[in-house]
Amino acid sequence: MIRNYFKIAVRNLWKNKGFSAINIAGLAIGLACFILIALFVMDELSYDRFYPDADRIYRVDADIKFGGNNLNLTVSSDPMGPVLKKDYPQVEEYTRIYASEGSKLVRKGNEYINEEKIVYADSTFFNIFPQKVVSGETKTALFEPNTVVISETAAKKYFSTVDAAGKTIDIDKKPFKVTAVIKDMPHNSHFHFDFIMSMKNVEYDWNNFLSHNFHTYILLKKGTDYHAFEKNFTQVLDNYVLPQAKQFMTGLNSMDDFRKSGNKLDYSLMPLTKIHLYSHRFPELEANSNIQFVYIFSAVALFILLIACINFMNLSTARSVNRAKEVGIRKVLGTGKKNLIAQFLSESALMAFISLLLALVLTYFTLPLFNNIAAKSMSAGSIFSSSFLPFLIALPVIVGLLAGLYPAFFLSRFKPIAVLKGKINAGFKKNTLRSGLVVFQFFTSIVLIIGTIIVYQQLHFIQNTNLGFTKDQVLIIDDAYALNKNDEVFKNAVLQLPGVKSGTMSGYLPVNSSRTDNTYSREAVMDPKNALSMQSWIVDYDYINTLGMKIIKGRDFSKDFGTDSNAVILNETAAKVLGYEDPVGKKLFRQSPDGKTTSYTIIGIVKDFHFESLRQNIYPLGLMLGHSNSIISFKIATANIKPLIQQIQNKWKALAPGMPFSYRFMDDAFNNMYRAEQRVEKVAITFAILAIIIACLGLFGLVTYMAEQRTKEIGVRKVLGASVPNLVAMLSKDFMKLVAIASVIAFPVAWWGMHTWLQDFAYRISIEWWVFALAAFIALLIALLTVSVQAIKAAMANPVKSLRTE
Amino acid sequence: MLELKGIYKWVNTGNHRTFLLKDVDLTVKEGEFISIMGPSGSGKSTLLNVIGMLDEFNEGEYNFLNESVHKLKEKQRSALYKQYIGFVFQAYHLIDELTVYENIETPLIYQNIKSSDRKAMVADILDRFQIVGKKDLFPTQLSGGQQQLVGIARALIANPKLLLADEPTGNLNSKQGEEIMNLFKQLNHEGMTIIQVTHSEKNAAYGSHIINLLDGMIQNN
Repeated sequence: MIRNYFKIAVRNLWKNKGFSAINIAGLAIGLACFILIALFVMDELSYDRFYPDADRIYRVDADIKFGGNNLNLTVSSDPMGPVLKKDYPQVEEYTRIYASEGSKLVRKGNEYINEEKIVYADSTFFNIFPQKVVSGETKTALFEPNTVVISETAAKKYFSTVDAAGKTIDIDKKPFKVTAVIKDMPHNSHFHFDFIMSMKNVEYDWNNFLSHNFHTYILLKKGTDYHAFEKNFTQVLDNYVLPQAKQFMTGLNSMDDFRKSGNKLDYSLMPLTKIHLYSHRFPELEANSNIQFVYIFSAVALFILLIACINFMNLSTARSVNRAKEVGIRKVLGTGKKNLIAQFLSESALMAFISLLLALVLTYFTLPLFNNIAAKSMSAGSIFSSSFLPFLIALPVIVGLLAGLYPAFFLSRFKPIAVLKGKINAGFKKNTLRSGLVVFQFFTSIVLIIGTIIVYQQLHFIQNTNLGFTKDQVLIIDDAYALNKNDEVFKNAVLQLPGVKSGTMSGYLPVNSSRTDNTYSREAVMDPKNALSMQSWIVDYDYINTLGMKIIKGRDFSKDFGTDSNAVILNETAAKVLGYEDPVGKKLFRQSPDGKTTSYTIIGIVKDFHFESLRQNIYPLGLMLGHSNSIISFKIATANIKPLIQQIQNKWKALAPGMPFSYRFMDDAFNNMYRAEQRVEKVAITFAILAIIIACLGLFGLVTYMAEQRTKEIGVRKVLGASVPNLVAMLSKDFMKLVAIASVIAFPVAWWGMHTWLQDFAYRISIEWWVFALAAFIALLIALLTVSVQAIKAAMANPVKSLRTE
Repeated sequence: MLELKGIYKWVNTGNHRTFLLKDVDLTVKEGEFISIMGPSGSGKSTLLNVIGMLDEFNEGEYNFLNESVHKLKEKQRSALYKQYIGFVFQAYHLIDELTVYENIETPLIYQNIKSSDRKAMVADILDRFQIVGKKDLFPTQLSGGQQQLVGIARALIANPKLLLADEPTGNLNSKQGEEIMNLFKQLNHEGMTIIQVTHSEKNAAYGSHIINLLDGMIQNN
């Protein structure tokens, strides 16, 4: 029996090739989108869960407000971990990671390679974050100073073997003993290190509760409520932090005093498994993702799957009407209702199953593309992972059942004689459910179109907004400290090259990087009330000129003034926080940890420029004259960039033999800040297009169905003198109405969603009405095109055929 | 009024040609009432459709009111029959979603007649056919005879010169059929040219003229 069902099903599919193709393709695209996004979401949710004690590991975060400046840090002070373990029995273990030194030069033969995934860690690191060991062992690996644990990748790179335990490697010209080689950390970890050096090598002003530089992770005993544990931080503040703070600030008697002066120092715990999606702090060990993406993607996936299923149902229903006659004959021949239902269900299940196979093939081929868009490295194999497989099998069964049920029950209910006479029109027409489904499909499409346009506008706005500095045609040479004393020589040599206009050597550039704040005050004696927390960048004479910034008051640093070594140029924001009417000429003081006070004279105000992403407001900043050779930037003016870079590299090779030469362009560095948004844009565009395609396939099917339902009416109207445009208008009108209703519902939803998204940006566009009009217009146009193809076909048909009675 | 000369219509099935109409010559004068008879499949309906310009033919000439139909484009042809021809069907072919009033009104809408004029014209014909009381009913609420009455009213609403009826009484009982045929006769007396296709000798006798068709050919005239 079942074989017979499938035989008929296959023949039917084949007979209506076009129809089947549309139906299967629509569902396959929908399923493929859904599988891709499900993979993405599962991957996002899997971060850091592979550590055996993942649910008990927490990071100690700090929230600091000081001198009008708000900091949300992922780091805490160096004694925090030890003190927590000593004073609180709930803390089973702690470990600290020190990543503030940034990249280091590692020697390979005569060559030095710049390694970025390099940190210091306590020996307890492997107790909390156990790693798979390839050679050596990790238990005691970091006990001794001058020891390092390296990844498999690093071992292969530097020793050409994974069996590198016991060998020696030069890091920043110091020999380290490799005590263990570990497997590369899984991609779904929130950090990936190639080198983990012993914490004992860190040169640091230890036991300082006021400096926050260590990523501190604690392992709580089983059953400890971390929210309750967070209350203990008040005690830590009173017992340890306050006594140290008193030494620096006069008039500070309690933490309450500190808070009353509008400042803040709070600690909290961040669960390890939440870091990847919920932590938007500073400095993160790696760029994190955002739970927003997970929500957006999940919603899109569900909607697309729904649209696809709705289509499938609508198309199956539409097609089954054509088979009313077959049903009639079968009934006359004695087929029971049950058999008919089984036949229809097996047909739609077969179709759904073919769609699933096609979807898997689609997924397999589009996964690399999707990985690219979503910045992931998921493998096609994970589709068949144990948690996903049952779901995959259930999907076509459910879709098939849903899609098959309606026509199955509807058709099998007919009285055979009525069906044979072709009288089955009643009850099929004005169907509110079907109209509702079409409205839903277009609602989704329109929301996606609006979202896409607004994301695009915001990104365009970011790219073209006046940043306060010129980002084009600026070439950045990183790691210039490798030049040592040759840095000035190198800079001057490059300046001689044709096409180089000016150059500057500095510590920071106005693209986001890890930076620290310092505290300054208006008076020589610091008290919390007159403190100003401000970034200070060491720059040279050519900085402001090279980067095209503007002095709006006072003057730039100049060689004509011998006193500029104690001068500072503030940005507008810093000047505003200080509150002087005319800040130029006023003094600013800084107290270093050893108690010495330095004073600076304000010589100028630079126009505010964006040095963080446009998501954030501009913070107070001071530029100071000095020698910091981490980055050299050149303003260039040439179309022939390649040969110029080659020439610069030659100079570098001559002056810093063996040292890695790395360069980038400022506009690229700038664009990198918005990768996440660009990703959202691409994803939104892709899925908006797919959603519309699927929705249109459905609409096409519905119009076909509708036209079939109204063949007789169309014929009669034609005989009565209706023209083709008359009929097309008649057939399209109803659908246009539905799309219009969908627009009206979509507008507020899209507005709310995009308004929420834009709140992430301190600098953002306003949502304009024409975006909505455009989206509705696009949807209407596409719908109209889809509908009219079929409507014209129906209207052109010869009425003689449809009106024949015999 | 109309003249068919050497009309052929065929379909090709494989390499075999089946003739639906074969060398049909027919002249219809104004005011005539013609009945086309013949067994099933003899080409009656096809001939009627050709006359009504709903169907095309492969060979021959067709002149209608001094227009050469075979030379006209689709659009002109449809304009022609819209103006001069009314159709009545065996299965009435009323639009189920529209009321009696709206069904009758439909042809006028497609002829771009003003709404106020339409009202007057529909009111006139409802009155004439004595179905004013039924104007707000839907076709399914009417008996077969009443539905056909509405069908005829709809065919006549635009004042055609020629009425084509394809077995107008085929779905009716004899009493209802008689009423319809009497109506046709009366219309013919008032000057309407009518061509009907029928199976029934009795109904054919209402006409002034009978044409017998067999296998697409006219047998006698």
